[in-house]
Amino acid sequence: MATDSDRRVVVTGVGAVTPLGETFPASWEALIAGRSADAPLELFDTSGCRCHRACSASLPELPDLSRKALSRLSRASRLALPAAREALAHAGLLDGDRRCAQRDLALSISTTAGGMAFGENFCRDVFAGKRAHLFSQVERYLPQQQVLDLQQDLAVNGPSVVMANACASGANAIGHATDMILAGESDCVLAGGFEAICELVFIGFDCLQATTIEKCRPFDLKRSGLMIGEAAAFLVLESRAQAEARGAKILGELTGYGHSTDFFHLTQPQPAGDVLVEVMRAALREAKLDPAQIGYINAHGTATPVNDGPEAAAYRTLLGDALGATRISSTKAAIGHTLGAAGAVEALFALAALRSGDLPPQLNLQEPIPDIAPALVGLNEKHSDLRHVMSVNLGFGGSNAALIFSR
Amino acid sequence: MNVDLSIMGQGAVTPAGVGVEALFDADPKPQHAEPLGEPKKTCPVLRVDLKDLAFARWQKEPRLRRASPMTFFMVEAAEQALCGMSATDRAETGLIVALSAGCLAYSRRFYQGILKDGQRTASPALFPETVFNSPGSHVASVLGLNGAVYALCGDESAWIGALKTASVWLKRGRVRQVVVMGVEEFDPIVLDAYRSARWLRRPDFLTSEGAAALLVREARPEDGAVIATAHEGTPYRTRAEAAFAAGELFCGLDSSLPCHRTARRTWAEPLECEATEGRPEFATPPPYLGAAFTASAAWETIRAARTLNVPRGVLPLWGLNHRFGRLELEHR
Repeated sequence: MATDSDRRVVVTGVGAVTPLGETFPASWEALIAGRSADAPLELFDTSGCRCHRACSASLPELPDLSRKALSRLSRASRLALPAAREALAHAGLLDGDRRCAQRDLALSISTTAGGMAFGENFCRDVFAGKRAHLFSQVERYLPQQQVLDLQQDLAVNGPSVVMANACASGANAIGHATDMILAGESDCVLAGGFEAICELVFIGFDCLQATTIEKCRPFDLKRSGLMIGEAAAFLVLESRAQAEARGAKILGELTGYGHSTDFFHLTQPQPAGDVLVEVMRAALREAKLDPAQIGYINAHGTATPVNDGPEAAAYRTLLGDALGATRISSTKAAIGHTLGAAGAVEALFALAALRSGDLPPQLNLQEPIPDIAPALVGLNEKHSDLRHVMSVNLGFGGSNAALIFSR
Repeated sequence: MNVDLSIMGQGAVTPAGVGVEALFDADPKPQHAEPLGEPKKTCPVLRVDLKDLAFARWQKEPRLRRASPMTFFMVEAAEQALCGMSATDRAETGLIVALSAGCLAYSRRFYQGILKDGQRTASPALFPETVFNSPGSHVASVLGLNGAVYALCGDESAWIGALKTASVWLKRGRVRQVVVMGVEEFDPIVLDAYRSARWLRRPDFLTSEGAAALLVREARPEDGAVIATAHEGTPYRTRAEAAFAAGELFCGLDSSLPCHRTARRTWAEPLECEATEGRPEFATPPPYLGAAFTASAAWETIRAARTLNVPRGVLPLWGLNHRFGRLELEHR
C-alpha cells in the first residue's frame, strides 16, 4: 500500500443513532424539519441537579442478538452497533450475516466516557460493600471494550484507535482516519464516535453550571448553557482508488482537516477565538480553498456563555465579508451536546447538507450574537450550490478541530 | 505497519524513582493499600513518590495547581525526553498520550462524593481534571508543545497505537517530532477491579503507576536504535480468544529473532512463555516495576531500546484488556 501524494479520501457510507432518530435518514429528516429532542431525563435521578432535561436517544432493536448478549452491552454499545452497521451497509460493505466484508477494517473511534454507566454501577457496589457481579461491570466500562464490541459484532480485526480529546474527539477521529488513509496505513477506515448519557458526566457539566435550565440557545445573547445529548455516528472513509475500484457510491470527499490545542484555559476558549481561526485556516489550506468557498459550517455552538462568543468571533475573523454568504448553524439545540460523538454526528449533518442543499436550522434563537447573526440558518433554508462544507468542534483541554467535505 | 521512528529522547517516572536509569535499578519496595470495598484487606502496590524533588518545580506551576497525579508523572517524564530542546523546536512538537483509565483518582473521588453527599455537592474543581485529555493539555501548555495533542485510550496496545499515530503525523508533515507517552495513576478502586478480575490471586502481581515518554522523529540512516514496525495484533475477549491471539502474535516472524519478554507476573505470562518458547532473549530481565498498562508498555520500550544488543529484536506487549501487539526494534 504505497503512500501517494495524489491519494484522496472519500466517504462511502454513513450511519447514526441520534436523539432525533434510530437511523441517519430519520435523524436528518427530523433535524431539517426543525425538531428538537429536548425532554426530561429519565435515565437516572437528577433531583439534586440544576438541570433535569437532556436529549436522550431511543435504543434501536438488535433482534439478532440474544438477551444475554444484549445484557452485556453498555448503553454506549447499544448506540454504536446499529450506527456502525448502518454505515457499513450504506457503503455496501456488510454481508448478509451482518459481517463486514473487509476483515482488516481499521477503526478510528471517539468517546469521552466509554461505557461509564458500568463503571458507575461498579463503584456503587464497591462503596456499598457488595462483591457479587463486580467483574461483569468493570470489565466492560473502558472505551476499548466498546471498540471490541464493534470488532466482534462486525467480525473485523484491523487496527483500532480510541480518541479521547473531549468534545472535539469525533472530528479528531475522522481527521485521523483521513490521515491514516493519506499516509498509506489503510485503505478503508470506519471513523466516528459514540457517547451515552451517564450520571458522572451529566452531573459534571451540571456542577460547572454549564447546562441550561431553559432552552438551549446556541449563538444567542440570552444563551444560558448546553443540553446534554447522546448519539453514535460513523462514516466509512476510503481511498478514492479503492472506492472506485469496487464501484462504491461516493458521498463526498474529505478535503481538509485542521486541529490544534488552545492553552488559554482547560474549559474555556481564548476569547478572540484565535486558535480556532488557525485551525480552520489549516483545514482550508489542506483543502486548497478560500474561506468564502465554504457554503455551510456546522458550528460547535454549545450555547454556553463561554463558548459561543469566541466561536462567533472566530467565524467573523475567518470569513470577514463572506460571513453572510457562508451559512452557519449549531445542531446542538436539536440533539444536545453529544460530547465524544458530537464531531462525528455533526460531520454527518454537514455532509448531508452538502449532498442535499438543505441546511439545518438554528433553533431557539431570540437575540443572535451580532458577530454571527447574518450567517445563522433559518428554518426551511436551502442552498442551491453547496460545493464545500465545514464541521467545527471544540473541547475541554482546548481541543479544536475542523473538517472540510467537498463534492 | 512500518513506523520507522527514531528515539531522540526518553523520560521515565516509576515507583523505583524518577529518570530512565530507574528502569534498570533494583526492585522498588511495595507499599500497602486497601481495596475500597474491603478496607481490612491490604494489598502490596508500587507507588510513585510524589515527594521526590523532581516534582517540586512542577508543583509551583499555576496551570497545574489542581492537576491529577498522572499529570505530574507526565510533565516530568516529558521534560526528561525533551531535555535541551529549544522553545522553537518545542513549538513544532506534538504530543500523544496513551492511557487506560485516565485520571482515576479524581474520577473516583468525584463520583464517590456524589454518592456520599449528593449531587448538589459535586465538585466543579475536580470534574474538568477527570477528562481523558486534560493531563495532555496541561503538559503541552506547560512545556510549550504547540503541535497537535491527542489522548488515546486503551490497554498496553494503545501505546502501540500511539506510536503508529506519531508515525502517521510525521508522514503527513503535521509536526516535526512527537512526544509519545504512556501513563497510569493508582487509586485504591483499582484493587477492587483487579480483585474482581482475579488478577490479585497471583501473589507476586503488583499494581503500579507512573509514566514514560519517548521523543520520536522519522528515522534517518544515521540513527541508532529505531522502532521499525508496530503491530496491534488480534483483539480478544475470552481467555480462549486470548490464547489464539497470543499464538498469532509471532506468526511470520523468524523464530531466531530475539525478544524482550514483558508479561511478567500477569495472567498473560503463560501465554507469552508458550508463544516465545525457544526464542532467544536479547536482555536479562530488568527489575519488576509492576503492572501499569500503557506506562508499562512505554517502560518496556525504553528498556528494549537501551538493551538491544542484536541488529533486530521483537518486543511483545501484552494488552490485558483488548489486544496483544508487538514492536520490532532495530539498529541501523
